[in-house]
Amino acid sequence: MQAQLPEPVIVIRNVSRRYVRGVDEVHALDDVSLSIPTGHFVGFMGPSGSGKSTLLNLVSGIDRPSAGEVIVAGQKLNDLSEDELAQWRAGHVGLIFQFFNLMPVLSARDNVALPLLLTHLSKTERPRRAEIALGIVGLEHRLDHFPRTLSGGEQQRVAIARAIVTDPDIIVADEPTGDLDARNAEAILSLLRQLKHDFGKTVVMVTHDARALRYVDDAYHLDKGVLLEGEEARLAAEALRATAGHVPAPGR
Amino acid sequence: MALPLSYTWRNLQARAGRSIMTASVIALVVVACSLLLGLISALQRTFVLSGNPMNLVVMRKGSDNDGASQLSVQAYQAIRFFDGIARDAADRPLISPELVVQPFFRTRDGGRENVLVRGVEPVALAVHDQVRITQGRMLRPSAHEAVVGRAVLGRYAGAELGNEIAFGQGKWKVVGILEAGGASFESEVWVDVRELANDAKRPFPYSGVRLRVATPTDLTRLKRRIDDDPRYALEAQPETEYYAKQAKSAGSLYVLVAAIAVLAGIGAGFGASNTMYAAVQARTAEIGTLRALGFSRRAILSAFEAEAVALSTVGFIIGAGAAVGLSRLLDWLMGSIAFGAATFTTNVVRLNVSLSDLLGALLLALLIGICGGLGPAWRAARLRPIEALRKA
Amino acid sequence: MKYLSLVIANLRRNRLRSVLTAGAIMLAVVLVCLLLTLPAGLDAIVENASSNTRISVHNKAGIVYSMPASFVRKVRQVDGVAAAVATTWFGGAYEEAGRVTFPNFAVEVEHIGAVYPDYAIKPEQLADFRRYRDGAIVGRQIMRKYRWKIGDRVTLRSTVWPVDLDFRIVGEIADEDSPYFWMNNEYLDQALKAQGGAGLGITGMIWVRAGDPSRVNSIMRTIDELSRNSEAETACETEKSFFSNMFGSLQGFITIMIIVTALVALCIVFIAANTASMAVRERACEIAVLKAIGFDRRVIFATLLTETAALSIAAGSAGVLLAVAITRALRMFSGWSEALGPLGAFAVSAPVVFQGLALSVLVGLLAGIVPAYAAARRPVVETLHEVF
Repeated sequence: MQAQLPEPVIVIRNVSRRYVRGVDEVHALDDVSLSIPTGHFVGFMGPSGSGKSTLLNLVSGIDRPSAGEVIVAGQKLNDLSEDELAQWRAGHVGLIFQFFNLMPVLSARDNVALPLLLTHLSKTERPRRAEIALGIVGLEHRLDHFPRTLSGGEQQRVAIARAIVTDPDIIVADEPTGDLDARNAEAILSLLRQLKHDFGKTVVMVTHDARALRYVDDAYHLDKGVLLEGEEARLAAEALRATAGHVPAPGR
Repeated sequence: MALPLSYTWRNLQARAGRSIMTASVIALVVVACSLLLGLISALQRTFVLSGNPMNLVVMRKGSDNDGASQLSVQAYQAIRFFDGIARDAADRPLISPELVVQPFFRTRDGGRENVLVRGVEPVALAVHDQVRITQGRMLRPSAHEAVVGRAVLGRYAGAELGNEIAFGQGKWKVVGILEAGGASFESEVWVDVRELANDAKRPFPYSGVRLRVATPTDLTRLKRRIDDDPRYALEAQPETEYYAKQAKSAGSLYVLVAAIAVLAGIGAGFGASNTMYAAVQARTAEIGTLRALGFSRRAILSAFEAEAVALSTVGFIIGAGAAVGLSRLLDWLMGSIAFGAATFTTNVVRLNVSLSDLLGALLLALLIGICGGLGPAWRAARLRPIEALRKA
Repeated sequence: MKYLSLVIANLRRNRLRSVLTAGAIMLAVVLVCLLLTLPAGLDAIVENASSNTRISVHNKAGIVYSMPASFVRKVRQVDGVAAAVATTWFGGAYEEAGRVTFPNFAVEVEHIGAVYPDYAIKPEQLADFRRYRDGAIVGRQIMRKYRWKIGDRVTLRSTVWPVDLDFRIVGEIADEDSPYFWMNNEYLDQALKAQGGAGLGITGMIWVRAGDPSRVNSIMRTIDELSRNSEAETACETEKSFFSNMFGSLQGFITIMIIVTALVALCIVFIAANTASMAVRERACEIAVLKAIGFDRRVIFATLLTETAALSIAAGSAGVLLAVAITRALRMFSGWSEALGPLGAFAVSAPVVFQGLALSVLVGLLAGIVPAYAAARRPVVETLHEVF
């Protein structure tokens, strides 16, 4: 008897996303289907306009598909209303963006504790949890710093701490290394891999950074809204890896 | 090298929504101030226009207005023959004995006001030469007739040509309308002096006397003669001085305009500052570029000040238009507006926003723009090119 | 309430903007309060200062017309009349050469206390008023304005009678807004006779206190009947009606003031709305992130609205307090104004305070609603699309 494979935590079935921009109708995604197993570190890759960010938005529930189904951790996202989606996100998804992650008016600790405001944790519990999260990302000495006094890499780590503080089912990251230099980028990617490794988190990441290929379990390539498969996917991966040659490896 | 005005104008257009909002704040302050200025200057004008510099007002010593004064027949007869009083073509002295009473009049909408009724003799028209009968004719003595001022017309029950108005002990037939170029006489009703004395049962037939002097030197000479006369305790003053004192009490209302100008003006200035600061923040990169290209600090400062002034000018234009429109609407809706509850007389004015009122509002708007823009313009000018470009 | 710290943190974000907005709102609320004192002052006089048992009796033709002094005796005989006092306008000017700056009357000293028991003049002061012919009873507003004390001597020059009289202040009307100055009518009568005249044979106005409010109408009818076809026909009206009519001619002016007040209030809304929309616009991305994390639209709407409302309420409250302080100071200098009568007193009464506070709340809500709603409704992806 074959070993029972664990249920995939994310199922995307025949998903399309169309929207109107000015006079044109843009097909951001065209009949995309894939499933992501629990505990995998997955990358959505592709050039700009490929639809990878759109796909990520559908997975995290920020956006709705024009057609098809998105099921995350057993929840059919289509069944939820706008406000229910927000509530669902609060409990099940941790989000990391490329820019503007943190509220400039809050300290690192308060930024990380922000999602906890949506839970029933008490006033004393919340900062404690935040501190633990910041400890995991190695910023326990920066608790009271404000974003403007943190470096780019540190800010992203605070964002990651915020993403994990509610113990979500999935962690979703949109170009997390886009704004960082080589050393910090490697550090962030390494941290994300650590989350998958040490805590069994499912991490879905959008990136055009070739370095990511060394950290992810699976890479999905998109082009013009379509999921590339087979030969096309391999070629895309090759092309991407070629660009990695231009990036100096650490230590050289 | 200064930045062209088109730069200013295009920037305002680019942020049209916010510009209009800020300009509207200034416009509102302009409307508020213009309306009040229009009202108060209309009131003041009625007094300022009422004095003939060659006329003397003679009253009992110690009275502050002719309604409170009394003058005997003997006193009148004595003064009549003083030297220095001007004479008309028929060699009659231009001296007008008058009786002022303030009876109740019923207004059209059922209210009650004290109106200044002036008992006169026909010579009054010659002494008060600004007064003209523009409709109908002058009243005849002993005929229980009345001539009403233009502002009184239509305000009180029966105050129309050919109708009868009721005050005092009886009814009086309106036979003429008088106009005086906006002077306070237009808020008065004129009747025959003897009939008024009868009606009001006054022991003294006159409250005072107005006379025209022949030459300017006669003005001071006659004044001294009347003041010093030991027989009758009388006081003479130039008519212009008399009305100037009345105008002073209206002038105290300017305090209200000042309060609005200061408080609302500062508030609007703060609002304008806010908008401008946000503009500076949003255009930091742009400013850095301009500085890097070679525009001086002064050029940047002027450009932003110009924007602030342009905003307030737009605000003024909107406000001025709205003020004139609103004043016309209110004038049409409310008709005349009355003042003077505490002095037992009602001065009736019409709300009118004149050019000089708008001028005051323009000054205020410009001040708001200049002061409001100063802080942000200063901040913009102080930006160092490198910092500005880096922030972007 | 756990979001309160977030709201406050956001207000502190751009301190200059918050300060400028708060400053503008505060100043405008001060102005609105000052302007509102005018109609409020009118209401106060007509509603509060008027007793429902007092009747004014005056010549039908006008208050500058007089009645014979003896008429008051007939009035006192009328059934239901508890007390009646004859008063005459003295029109005295104090110092300011020739200008009357407060209303002053010659009254019957034996009867004035009985007609105005609500003025709560101390009995010993009323006794002094009866005892000293040159005594005067003065309202607190005037005592304060000229810094008079009981025992001071003052001189008034009459603008309508050919006399100047010296008075000794023997009592005061305890009401802070009362501008009256009462003197003994026999003192005036004597002074006129000393000049060779006939004395004070007339009275300008008779004030009557009815024993019972329900008798007021019948008393008024009876008094008017008494005077019918005489030399001086009377018209009676209640005290409230008298003041209402007297200041009725200011109605037009008050309407303009209310319009101006509304304009200023609109100003405040615009200023606050401008700030709110600027703040929201700048934080579009942050708000999108918050929504992405899971804060739903209602929370976003509520926190944004609270920001604007909190600022507005705080600033407005400060404005009301400042208005109260300013008018306290102003009362030293202003009071009875010739153009506006008692409205010159700028009294910030309880209704005005309430209106000022209500305005602050309303402004905050009105100004903040549209930007908050727009920001809350905006789909997350729209913002993210714009940025990325």
